[in-house]
Amino acid sequence: MSEKQPFRIYGKPELQSSSLVVGWSEDAGKLGPKVIDYLNKKLGGKEFAEIVPADFFSLGGVSVEGDVAQFPESKFYWCQQKNLVVLQSYSPRSDWYRFLGAVLDVAELYCHVKELYTIGGMVSLSAHTAPRELLAVANSPEMKKVLSQYDIARDFDYETPPGQRPTLSSFLLWVAKRRNMAGASLWVPVPFYLVSTEDPQAWRVTVEFLDKRFGLGIDFRDLDEEVARQNEKIAQVRISFPEIDDYIRKLESNLGVTQEENEKLVKEIEEFLRRRD
Amino acid sequence: MGITLYKKPELENPVLIAGWPGIGNIGIIAVETLRGMVRAEEFGEIEPWDFFYPKKVSIRNGELKDLEFPSNKFYFVKTEKRDLIFFIGEEQPTEGGKVYAEGTKAYQMANLVLDLALKFGCRRVYTSGAAVAPIHHSARPKVWAVPNSEDLIDEIKSYENTVLMSDIEGRGGQGAITGLNGLLLGVAKKRGLEAICVMGEIPVYLQGFPLPYPKASKSVLEVLTVTLGVKIDMEGIAALIERSESEIGRLYERFPPEIREELDKLIYVTYAESTEPGPITDEDKKRILEDIDKFFKKESKED
Repeated sequence: MSEKQPFRIYGKPELQSSSLVVGWSEDAGKLGPKVIDYLNKKLGGKEFAEIVPADFFSLGGVSVEGDVAQFPESKFYWCQQKNLVVLQSYSPRSDWYRFLGAVLDVAELYCHVKELYTIGGMVSLSAHTAPRELLAVANSPEMKKVLSQYDIARDFDYETPPGQRPTLSSFLLWVAKRRNMAGASLWVPVPFYLVSTEDPQAWRVTVEFLDKRFGLGIDFRDLDEEVARQNEKIAQVRISFPEIDDYIRKLESNLGVTQEENEKLVKEIEEFLRRRD
Repeated sequence: MGITLYKKPELENPVLIAGWPGIGNIGIIAVETLRGMVRAEEFGEIEPWDFFYPKKVSIRNGELKDLEFPSNKFYFVKTEKRDLIFFIGEEQPTEGGKVYAEGTKAYQMANLVLDLALKFGCRRVYTSGAAVAPIHHSARPKVWAVPNSEDLIDEIKSYENTVLMSDIEGRGGQGAITGLNGLLLGVAKKRGLEAICVMGEIPVYLQGFPLPYPKASKSVLEVLTVTLGVKIDMEGIAALIERSESEIGRLYERFPPEIREELDKLIYVTYAESTEPGPITDEDKKRILEDIDKFFKKESKED
């Protein structure tokens, strides 16, 4: 079996004791890809490496999403000024441990990364008008201490329920722990009816933490505009469809909705938000 | 990628018995029952992270404490007649969403299992799985045995309630064993070890349901215990069979009456080659099997 490096390096990042932020391409509310794109745009991220897909993805064709053919990519960018590395990647379909090892190899060998953050959205039954709370899981007591300086929920217990599997972020955090690399996974609850579309509020909460943690000096006006734009769109749906307004009101009052109401809410909101302006 | 050993037992010419989950969990129930009854002791494991996605994360007070993977453990026991090594895998390593192990990972795992077996001087391997057969669930399942060498055929012929592929009508001694239960046979052959896969029969109409079929595991156990010279109490598996029978009975009642009528005819089907005439004609048998096949194809399309 070929044991050659499963990654390709085509840049020379000049970083010391840097931090790595990882976002997965298929994420609730498009949180991973949007936050990574945003960081790259704001910080002038330069692409320098990729994980070669052949060993980790089934390449028997391409999937089509939103009318566009997709291809599994795992690309690294570096932001010199803020001593930051970012990775945007599809989740591998096999050989996960080797894939995650390759991620940390690139980070440690070429960028001297000392600290890792994964970002991700999780499905929530709350309304979009509820504030998004950032949750964090640390992979060491030291990392937990670091997180204690920020306004994050970090004292909860969790075990994977039967029939489900842990997230790839948890797997990466565990691999980092085995290598003595400090790490945390950051989670934002995304209202269930925004999971397949976009949740700018979740992006903002995540970027806000990263801004504080790394002193990025982000001007949030554009993100605030995105949040306002989407809230306006959903407000329009509520006016046009009293039924939908009723369901969202129920969620706002913590009353919950039936399965049928849940499905209608998802359908109407998704259709409306996907309509091209 | 490797094996972790907790202890190094002194074993003499041990026999390896390996089991993984599969159709009806027939093989794994048989191997796990045998392991439990002879009180084999855990002594090592294959490091799982190279092969599997984790199955459980434990977070305490906001800190990741543990990540649990499907287990792949080795056990040993010294019985009166011979020393035994067990390997029990909780999952088969798969690639690209396939159900059964194949490809590089499966080959690597098969080799790791045999690395350990050879390290302790093992020369004989048994694997166990399911044989999907046109039988009725009220019948006593036979055991299909496939060796990895012609030299073992005479030995298999002496096993009770066991058939070779050449005994199965229309197969001409041919067939396939999917997943690691089969692959291990091939890799053992390549590495000079004798190996036999013993497969308990499961009715063709039950193969698609996520139900264990311990009745076939018992048939496998009956063969393994005699071959290995081990005596075990079958009460535990009898209780499992009782529970499974009532579950299957309830499922069977839900089949449409016309299908049940067809399936009931399987009680009279003798598919293993026989010199005596059966209670139904060959033509009847062919039609019944075709009808059943059509019904389940239609059902799966409707799912």
